[in-house]
Amino acid sequence: MASSTDTTRFAQFKLVLLGESAVGKSSIVHRFVKNTFDNFRESTIGAAFLTQTITLPESKTTIKFEIWDTAGQERYKSLAPMYYRNAHAALCVYDITNPSSFTKAQDWIKELKKQAPEGIVICLVGNKLDLSEERQVDEQEVLQYVQELNHQENNVLWAECSAKSGEGVLDIFNKIGRALPVEEVINGASSRARQVGSRKPGVDLARQAHSPQNSGCC
Amino acid sequence: MTSLNKVERRKSVAERSPSVSYTPDVIPHLAGLEKPQAHSLLLDECDVLIMGTGLVESILAASLSWQGVDVLHIDNKTCYGDSNSTLTIEQIKSWCQEVNGGKIQHFEDAQVYVSGELSLPTSKYKSKDYGIDLTPKVMFAQSDLLSLLVKSRVYKYLEFQSLSNFHIFENDSFAAKFSNPTSKEEIFTDQSLSLVTKRYLMKFLKFVLQDNNDEDKRQVLTENAKVPIEEFLKKKFNLEKSQINELVYSIGLATKESSKTPEALARIRRYLTSFNVYGNFPVLVSKYGGPGEISQGFCRSAAVGGSTYKLNTTLVDYDPSQKVAKFSDKSSVRINEKLVVSPTQIPKFLQTSYNEITEALPMKNINRLVVVVKKDCKEWMSNSESSAVVVFPPHSLPSDNSKGIQALVQNGGSGVCPDGHSIWYLTSFEQDKAKAKLDLQSALDKMEAAILRESSNNLDDVLGEEDFVISERGTPVVVNSVKLGKSLQNFVPKEKLEIICKLGYVQQTYVANDLSNVLNPTKDNNVTLRKPKDCGEIIFTNMPSAEISYDGIVSECKTLYSSITGADDDFFDVDFEDEDDTFDGAGFHQQPQTVSTIKANALTDDENAIASSDEDDHNEPFGANEMEL
Repeated sequence: MASSTDTTRFAQFKLVLLGESAVGKSSIVHRFVKNTFDNFRESTIGAAFLTQTITLPESKTTIKFEIWDTAGQERYKSLAPMYYRNAHAALCVYDITNPSSFTKAQDWIKELKKQAPEGIVICLVGNKLDLSEERQVDEQEVLQYVQELNHQENNVLWAECSAKSGEGVLDIFNKIGRALPVEEVINGASSRARQVGSRKPGVDLARQAHSPQNSGCC
Repeated sequence: MTSLNKVERRKSVAERSPSVSYTPDVIPHLAGLEKPQAHSLLLDECDVLIMGTGLVESILAASLSWQGVDVLHIDNKTCYGDSNSTLTIEQIKSWCQEVNGGKIQHFEDAQVYVSGELSLPTSKYKSKDYGIDLTPKVMFAQSDLLSLLVKSRVYKYLEFQSLSNFHIFENDSFAAKFSNPTSKEEIFTDQSLSLVTKRYLMKFLKFVLQDNNDEDKRQVLTENAKVPIEEFLKKKFNLEKSQINELVYSIGLATKESSKTPEALARIRRYLTSFNVYGNFPVLVSKYGGPGEISQGFCRSAAVGGSTYKLNTTLVDYDPSQKVAKFSDKSSVRINEKLVVSPTQIPKFLQTSYNEITEALPMKNINRLVVVVKKDCKEWMSNSESSAVVVFPPHSLPSDNSKGIQALVQNGGSGVCPDGHSIWYLTSFEQDKAKAKLDLQSALDKMEAAILRESSNNLDDVLGEEDFVISERGTPVVVNSVKLGKSLQNFVPKEKLEIICKLGYVQQTYVANDLSNVLNPTKDNNVTLRKPKDCGEIIFTNMPSAEISYDGIVSECKTLYSSITGADDDFFDVDFEDEDDTFDGAGFHQQPQTVSTIKANALTDDENAIASSDEDDHNEPFGANEMEL
């Protein structure tokens, strides 16, 4: 994670999506990626995860999000431990027109407390702001809930957005970016932000040290 | 019997998404993203039902999904991995109860001890800080599963670490004679070897690395097809027992004496061709857990490809005439094609069929002993590494083990336990279960004595008079280590090894130790190819093999894939890299277009080579062609 120049710094973070089915988890991410890239292709087929970068001008930092979608595995409570592992941030999404989805989002926050690394930045996100006339989740109620959580030494952010119109989407990621332990990661002290085990450089399977004798065929 | 051939299936993902550059004029509407497809929420039919999320089943699910097959993948457990799970200590405890209650077929005799320290509220360590693999494995750098991980991009969900230290126990001492070599030639630069011996070793190395199609080599292999490897190495290359042991058990990871020469050479070759592919080491381990972790990766890939996942779900009933499956959550789903069933997840009504199918097959016992200790064992590992392999050749232990014992050691650096701790996975290939237990304990005693000695900080302390006392058992514990040498053989450590968890169990499998019935499966030797009489849509999978590497896994997947789709020519026929190229310009997936792209093409070619020819190929599971000789 070296910075490319003296002035701009770079850090990468894993962000996971959570929330009930049909609240618009994927569409928020797709809107986030699409707003920046106009030739975005809808399908994410084959992509291990989506990536998108933002720049925080005040700290001259470029942040790359590695965004993990649930791929439907949340539907029958079948998310693997791998999903939460080393996650730095989580979007807990609910639908402001659907009170039960807000209850579910609270369950997911509890689940995060159990499964995710300590210090994970959680952003509770109310989606479908474009349908605010049909709002059934009261903003005051959510605010109170978030404040209670943060009294218990949590680090929970809250935002509302519309994936459909794009309103508020980029703000969410900027907010998260500012809450992330950028300094720690850049200074190589990322171990504290991550889970057990000391950091040792891994082997990138896409980079062979020497081409095997047989691969010159192409 | 119908099979899902290409024409009947809906278009595969590769077909549906053209790999040519594609930029829509208008940004696509988000329909379908705001409301998930009704199909996946109201699941009422699927093409294939897979029961059990073990490694083979998970790769199968991903391979089918990416070719457009609708897969419903369930598991009767609340976690992924089935017989390949990576479990926390709490999960291990309940797993043992289930095993001993007879609830998990093909596992038995589970014994577990967990230190009381772990249950103290003040304890620094929690159950979930540990990830214990039920089938620990290492991955050769040149292997078909590794190629598949790259090709399928599943490697992006995982982290891999190198493992270069292989220790061998002989003459009551541990030695790592070829740790940290920087080239194949350096593997044998042990200073104690004579020049003549070195020359013979080099000659042997050259022979092993020679192309298998070389006529001279072929002839030698044919001539020695039935000759035990020990005899071959002695006669043909004048090697002595010590080098033979290293070659056969440490480099070759053989499990028994007198392996046939071609098979043993294939195993040695596997190590040598894997060396220097990614660096100066032959094998890799996946972080946070082995097969259990890789299973999760392929399940995620399958989910991205469209598979539906339901854990904690069992098949309650299946009506073959209506093809309707009923599940424990009261749902019912029509299964259009096949049901793939892991042996640990067989519903009651299929048990008789399974028993009939397996009746005549020879069954193997795999005896395991897993010990979590409060030592990082870094003495056994390279500086930058967190794992090591320790092997005990036959007849090397006081218990006079007739089969070899292999041990994988991993510490906190590999994410499977807290820093300062390590997990020792010992496997015995002895078929007599009582004898296997003795052998495992004997090996454990040796490892314990060695690590206590080697990790002693102060040599003066070690040499102190009080250290030379008789042990509690009334006999001096004779140990040695490569570091401290023979002068300390009677050392009795003051310190006792602190054990966090100790777990023993026996696993059964119908897979042969040499993987022959997986690499060359027939109706007579492999569970998967034996169809139940009354229900042709049922396919059983195998229990995991005893093999310490991942060899054989991809072959099993292809056998299953062919049983379902009729052929394996489109097994993972996907090219994600092309899509990456498309996105590269937009900076979407900022994957460097260097090695991975080149390699992906090479791998495609390799895959074809495996499927279509019997040429020698590095990516073949070991011994695939040698063993035919």
